Amino acid sequence: MLDAIEVTKQFGAKRALDNVSLSVLPGEIYCLLGANGAGKTTLVNLFLNFLQPTSGSLQIGKLDVVRQPLETKRLLAYIPEQVTLYGVLSGLENLAFFSSLAIGEHLPRQRLLELLEAAGLPRQAADNRVATYSKGMRQKVGIAIALAKNAKALLLDEPTSGLDPSAANEFSELLVKASNDGVTVLTTTHDLFHAKQTGTRIGIMKQGRLVEELRSEEVSHADLEALYLKHMRS
Amino acid sequence: MFAIIAAKDLRELTRDGRLLWAGGLVVMLMLVALAAGWNRQVQLNSERSAGQALDYNAWLHQGYRHPHDAAEQGMHVFKPEPSLAVFDPGIGPFVGSTVWLQAHRQSEVKFRPAQDATGLQRFGELSPAWLLQVLLPLLIIVIGFNSASDERERGTLRQLLSLGAPARSLLFGKAAALASCVGILIAPVGLAFAVLIVARLPAGERVDVVYRITWLAAGYGLYLGFFVFLTLAVSALARSSRAALVLLLGFWVAATLIAPRTASEATNLLYPTPSRLDFDAQLTHDIADAGRKAWSAHFGARTQWDPSVPLSKWGAALKVDDEAGYGALDENFGRLWDTFERQQRAQGWVGVVAPVVALRGFSMGLAGTDFSQHRDFSTAAEAQRRKIQNIVSEDLIEHADRLGNAHFTRLAPSCGQACRNSSTNFRLCRLPWRIIGRALCCLP
Repeated sequence: MLDAIEVTKQFGAKRALDNVSLSVLPGEIYCLLGANGAGKTTLVNLFLNFLQPTSGSLQIGKLDVVRQPLETKRLLAYIPEQVTLYGVLSGLENLAFFSSLAIGEHLPRQRLLELLEAAGLPRQAADNRVATYSKGMRQKVGIAIALAKNAKALLLDEPTSGLDPSAANEFSELLVKASNDGVTVLTTTHDLFHAKQTGTRIGIMKQGRLVEELRSEEVSHADLEALYLKHMRS
Repeated sequence: MFAIIAAKDLRELTRDGRLLWAGGLVVMLMLVALAAGWNRQVQLNSERSAGQALDYNAWLHQGYRHPHDAAEQGMHVFKPEPSLAVFDPGIGPFVGSTVWLQAHRQSEVKFRPAQDATGLQRFGELSPAWLLQVLLPLLIIVIGFNSASDERERGTLRQLLSLGAPARSLLFGKAAALASCVGILIAPVGLAFAVLIVARLPAGERVDVVYRITWLAAGYGLYLGFFVFLTLAVSALARSSRAALVLLLGFWVAATLIAPRTASEATNLLYPTPSRLDFDAQLTHDIADAGRKAWSAHFGARTQWDPSVPLSKWGAALKVDDEAGYGALDENFGRLWDTFERQQRAQGWVGVVAPVVALRGFSMGLAGTDFSQHRDFSTAAEAQRRKIQNIVSEDLIEHADRLGNAHFTRLAPSCGQACRNSSTNFRLCRLPWRIIGRALCCLP
């Protein structure tokens, strides 16, 4: 569903991605681990066509990201580390706006409330201005947007960063549920525990290269941590 | 898609204090300007009607007089105030609106040609047109400077783009929201004003005024649209909202405050106009010179009003003298007015970089308050003055003093007899004042 084929991204003299190839299958949750500057966010930005690869290609559902940007964006939803919403609008209004942009039609209020509820946002918070929301609540609105879009793939950039354990856990459950519904998930994270708990597969990136790929069921938490530290120290 | 973006932006802006306060202030100023303009026009029209009636009455009831004395009394004619002057008074307040049709000379009393340059260079009177030309762009900048940059700074732009919203839809959506804000603020006031203006006009004038209002709306729409897109473009390209605000305010100050002034000064340097003193001196000299030549050619006299010319020919002499001056008047006023028009044309080029300059000319033209319409009025008034001079002179020729120079050689037996002779003589020259008065009032 999500394919990066020998992708290299150069920023001037700095090589942010070096010949990276990865493939995420439908229904998989692929967790990308790596230190800051390893190239995880660059890869996400390339899938979103916010950046263009220096060489190689990226595909979403066999559609080329660079050549068919609008078509590929229709297939995916993006949840950044900080879900940015309009503070003067309520959660419901934000969802109504983003979902109408995504699907091209206005969803009824009842459907919007259902989506927010499915994303874990309490119904009584729906009409409050987003400026009063916590980070976790904003993330939930972000998920509701993804649900409204009925996206085939989710791109998440450190989505649980800054969330309290309970909120992070809730978030992980939502991802698993989405994955069970056939949604493909590519998420970057620093959280080894979250990666092991949620991910189907785990990739470790270092200095723009994908240095390790493994199935999460094949490793224990301790082994994953040891492996990660080994790559970081080498 | 752009409608969804526009609706969201509009909702954000209406919840934002800037639109409420800045927009409210602009609307209040607009209402004040319209009310003041309306009041001024009503008062002016009433004063003009009263003035014209008084003047006409004085003309009709001047009694038995020598025709030339009547011509010297003259009459004031009042420039009709265009109904759209409420919206854009143009150069009206600076060039005056009354012309004195007096003997011998084109009026300079109410129309000060050499000082008109400052009138044309005027800037900044609280009128609805000025508000739309200067303050509305500022309002657009104030509410729109961070329209795109804030999306980028907050990160919502990534969110929008990730949803596949095309950049063009974003731009047009934001433009529609900004334009709607401006529309919400000024459209009701503008519409009410247009209805009031049109409703008080005679039926025959309505179509013309509606046509002018339509073009004015289109012109101002284009102008404000330019500011909407400029604001969005700068907001999208600037590094930050603050940088966008600084750039836009800089442009606003330069384009709406500095450029018109600079353009006026520059064009005045390029096409200088004489001071009033110089203009008057040159005009007096040229008229006198033309008069001398005419007197010499027609009567063989060395000077004007030479005693060698018999009194019986003074009607013809008046006509010759007046007509001799027409060329000098036409040449001097024509040269001055042509210079003003050249200045205005040159200023038109400044409109390429400072659209307010172009819009100002367009607006005054449609409101009927620009220089070319003032010139038309002045030219028509002068033509009417000459027509009256000719009537007076023809009358004097027709009723020439039959005593000739003997008039001064014969001593009257008594004062009473002399007075009786004089009054008999003048009664012969009595002009049909009512006809001339009507001719005066037929000015366009």
